[in-house]
Amino acid sequence: MSTQTIDRPVVAAEPRPVRRRRNGVERAKARAGWLLLAPSLVHSILFIALPGVMAVYLSFTNARVAGQGEWIGVKNYLDLFQDADFLHALKNTLLYTVAVVPVAMAVSLAVAIGLNQKIPGRALFRTLFYIPVVTSTVAVAAVWLWIYNPAAGLGNQVLAFFGVARSGWLTDPDVALPALMLVGIWQGLGAKMIIYLAALQSISPDLLEAAKLDGASKWQTFWNVTWPGLAPVHFFVLVTSIASSFQVFDLIYVTTGGGPANATNVLTFDIFSNAFERLHLGYASAETVVMLVFVGILISLGRLSLRGHREDL
Amino acid sequence: MSSFAETPRLTPGRTVLMVVLALGGFLMVVPFLWMILTSFKTLNEVNGFAWLPNQVEWMNYVNALKAAPFATYFRNSVIVVVGQTIPVLLFCTAAGYALAQLPIRGRKGILNYFILLLIVPFQVLIVPLFLVVRRIPLAGGNDILGNGGTGWLNTWAALIVPFVSAPLFTFLARQFFVSLPAELADAARVDGVSEIGIFFRIMAPLAAPAFVTIALFNVESAWNGFIWPLVATSSENLRPLQFGLATFAQGQGSVQWPFLMAMSALATLPMILLFIFGQRYFIAGMATSGIKG
Repeated sequence: MSTQTIDRPVVAAEPRPVRRRRNGVERAKARAGWLLLAPSLVHSILFIALPGVMAVYLSFTNARVAGQGEWIGVKNYLDLFQDADFLHALKNTLLYTVAVVPVAMAVSLAVAIGLNQKIPGRALFRTLFYIPVVTSTVAVAAVWLWIYNPAAGLGNQVLAFFGVARSGWLTDPDVALPALMLVGIWQGLGAKMIIYLAALQSISPDLLEAAKLDGASKWQTFWNVTWPGLAPVHFFVLVTSIASSFQVFDLIYVTTGGGPANATNVLTFDIFSNAFERLHLGYASAETVVMLVFVGILISLGRLSLRGHREDL
Repeated sequence: MSSFAETPRLTPGRTVLMVVLALGGFLMVVPFLWMILTSFKTLNEVNGFAWLPNQVEWMNYVNALKAAPFATYFRNSVIVVVGQTIPVLLFCTAAGYALAQLPIRGRKGILNYFILLLIVPFQVLIVPLFLVVRRIPLAGGNDILGNGGTGWLNTWAALIVPFVSAPLFTFLARQFFVSLPAELADAARVDGVSEIGIFFRIMAPLAAPAFVTIALFNVESAWNGFIWPLVATSSENLRPLQFGLATFAQGQGSVQWPFLMAMSALATLPMILLFIFGQRYFIAGMATSGIKG
């Protein structure tokens, strides 16, 4: 059944022609439509849209857990950009995103292309690459904490095998963030790979065949047929990857708690500490708004950079 | 996904590719392998490095379960997963069907609204969601205006209700229903089936793959959820498995690695098995939601 889901062209249903006088059936349909839509719509308003608006409002107040906040204008934002911890967390988050997203995208595309070839055991490989995605970040973080154990972890054994000096890994401020980036790339690879794989398989075999008949080399076929065909998927993968790398929390919480010496403090961790440890909800909300703005900027940049390939993005 | 009638031929190029992919695949599962191997070692053994345990310590699993209230954590995770997934299936597929097939005024705008919500990171919502949940009227000692008490904090409702529907799944369901022909519904209408009946009796059964995909996605995310239970609950009786793992892992310096790895294995295995059994649908779901972006 899954075969059909993918192969069937997904085309938006044409809206029915709107009649000037809606007849009984149309009215019944619309009524049923609202009824079926209502739970999801109401839920999204109460638990997503309303909190979203509240986050913006709270960011202009000095709200604390215990009481209502007062309106203090942009003070939180001014304070934020004087706050060394926040600036550090912002820098770490951007570093993490800029390092993890492109590498993970490139590797996952390469793996997807490999898995798109007719080789035996494709299903098994696909599963191997996807397994880290479905496991919880907390469990994954626990395992990597053990791998990065300076005394008896696997990490230092691998270094020793290659004749490299032992590392303190998560206890070394210079190494901790890159070490966590590696975990991020490892865990997120499969999700992107699956999306690329699905996209590769949806590229028309006729086009590939035509390119072959025209005598195009493999590289020419890739750059002229496959790559343009992937443009909308690049955008989708980019957006979801940026969003998820901005949200890295579980990994940091379990492994380093933001340390050593703030080296792995990221935005979400700083937000969490400010909101639920220092109980400063207004301030933490200002941080979330800044985070949202950065996600928005990065997504827009990604969109601009891909504009050339596709007009309807 | 195309399937192959014949076994693919192995050319030199494909052999190299297979070796590279096998190596990559191995790197992907080494951490899990290392987790399982460690989970069978003795406490003394993990002070030095070795791949294989000297002798298999099955008791680690038993002792780890005793070291923390893992049975409770496990039960809590199951309650949250079931409590979220059943309404998610109902609400999101219904809304997806309505958005795809029924003539609702402003349908396009509502769809765009859901897509916009997709982009909002959950972390942005945590603080205000905490306040919303705390101020639910007439719950946890609150008055009608939501003041005074703790609302839904530290209740099952806090862990379940905010997640009984999700824009991602509504969107995914919509993408699926859009591809079903409207003629099927028209035929049922002629036979006098009610509009709601058409959804439940004609369309929903046809959408079985979408249901399975959404269920799997939601089970995964509910099972793996961490930050929200951490914020919304403080009672051990409500906290999920992931929380237990995290507490165990943070016993700085005194972490009992074999126990922690045993617990991680127990928390990981159900999801891996679920994925292996449901992966055809997972991949189909990613394809429908992904390609349309």
